[in-house]
Amino acid sequence: MNLLGKVALVTGAGTGIGKGIAIELAKQGAKVGIHYHSSDAGAKDTQQRISELNGESFIVKANVMRKEEIDHMVKTVADYFGGIDILVNNAALQLNVELFDYEDEAYDHVMQTNLKGYWQCIQAVIPYMKEKGSGRIINISSVHGKRPTDFDPVYAMTKGGIKMLVRESAIELAKYGITVNEIEPGAVDVGKGKRSEPRDAEEKAKRNAELRWKFPLGRVGLPADIGHMAAYIASDQTEFMTGASVRLDGGSMLL
Amino acid sequence: MTLHGKVVFMTNADDNSGETLIKRLADEGAHFILNSVSDGKDIQESLAYCQSQGVKTTVVNVDLSKSSEVKTMLERVAPQIGTVDVFIHNTNVVIPTSVETCDEETFLKVMDRNTKSAFICTKEVGKQMAEKESGRIIYISSIHAEKPTGSSFVYSVSRGALKLLARESALYLGRYGVNVNAIELGPIDGDDEKFTSHISKLYDDYQYKVPSTRLGNDDDLADLVLYLASDHARYINGADIRLDGGFLLHYMDHKMKKPTVRSESHPS
Repeated sequence: MNLLGKVALVTGAGTGIGKGIAIELAKQGAKVGIHYHSSDAGAKDTQQRISELNGESFIVKANVMRKEEIDHMVKTVADYFGGIDILVNNAALQLNVELFDYEDEAYDHVMQTNLKGYWQCIQAVIPYMKEKGSGRIINISSVHGKRPTDFDPVYAMTKGGIKMLVRESAIELAKYGITVNEIEPGAVDVGKGKRSEPRDAEEKAKRNAELRWKFPLGRVGLPADIGHMAAYIASDQTEFMTGASVRLDGGSMLL
Repeated sequence: MTLHGKVVFMTNADDNSGETLIKRLADEGAHFILNSVSDGKDIQESLAYCQSQGVKTTVVNVDLSKSSEVKTMLERVAPQIGTVDVFIHNTNVVIPTSVETCDEETFLKVMDRNTKSAFICTKEVGKQMAEKESGRIIYISSIHAEKPTGSSFVYSVSRGALKLLARESALYLGRYGVNVNAIELGPIDGDDEKFTSHISKLYDDYQYKVPSTRLGNDDDLADLVLYLASDHARYINGADIRLDGGFLLHYMDHKMKKPTVRSESHPS
């Protein structure tokens, strides 16, 4: 229980990677603010899973495109649990639109959610972390902060921007005892694609062999993988780590 | 004449580097569409030079962060000058900002001018280039796509995003025979004041952090822009080229080639 007594806010915690992170932080003893925007049922499920671990959580809804909603979200969680020690920026959008078809409004939507939203969430938690003289800000980026996506140019741009947001925040906020880092996940199975169970051992072996062509470690990433890393970065063991980018992709970017 | 008859579209022609870039490319036979916020007033010398050399120029002044404006402008000027062969994004707006205190308006202003304009222009000139199955897109970015400034965080964020735009469009437009690259320009004269920081001493004695101690200038930039625009650079795509004389290579204790301070006394 590395995070006993700590308060964490995880954005986009109703689904996928965010859900995995919220659960792992709770396993380590953190009280978790579960943010969501559209997945009401997902947020409730995350809360349920945390309750089953005898953990404490609190659900808060906000549109991270709007500063006033971000400020309200942070204040609500801080008031409820008494401060904020850990922010996990995770809520992000990706569209599947090619460069030539990208409309200005879509650009703004992705840019303001993924990049401006990350910055304004950081800005909003600073006063609480400053007060305690410590804090952990963990940003979920992507391997697409390095490698283009070929499906959404603006998504990649936001991830490229996050890298510099992390580095700038790291040097600026160090004086308050706040560390700022990013995790760059590769492909993560968030349970969206329909994937039937292998019929038999032979088919399972065949599928695993195919996966090794994409992931040297022989499997796709899981939300819990990202959650374990986030929980580690959130712990007291990483006090000398800031402005770092951790690629977490099963080696997939190397192939 | 490396760029004989090519049409170059450049943003922020009023920039300090504009004059050198325009002259260099004009000498190689390029024609220009120049976006100028001063409506050409601040680039009179360059325009006069182009005229004396028989180079065609069209000065425009549109909001490059709006697709409709860029598209309409490109369609309007095409009959006189042609479609774009080389696009140079030369917009580097630096406004001192801290993560803790910056307001939303400033964040969006810097991002729109530095990044969104590059995206919109890439999309619109990209369509023209795709049609011709050839073209060059060059972003004049900064070493602050890698190194934080400690004084203007939105600027670095805008450059970090531009790096990925270069890679993304290099892949997408590469399939149409278009090359997209970014120049990550390092310190030139005046940058010490541009990035004065209470956190980072990056720019203290900055000229001596360039191993040769010779600071870069607009000619260094123009040479690389011309090279990337030329056929010599046909296999360079999606690259971010650090153009800083080695400035970013230091770690902590620099063995700078700083001249030793001479004693005032004169031993006999």
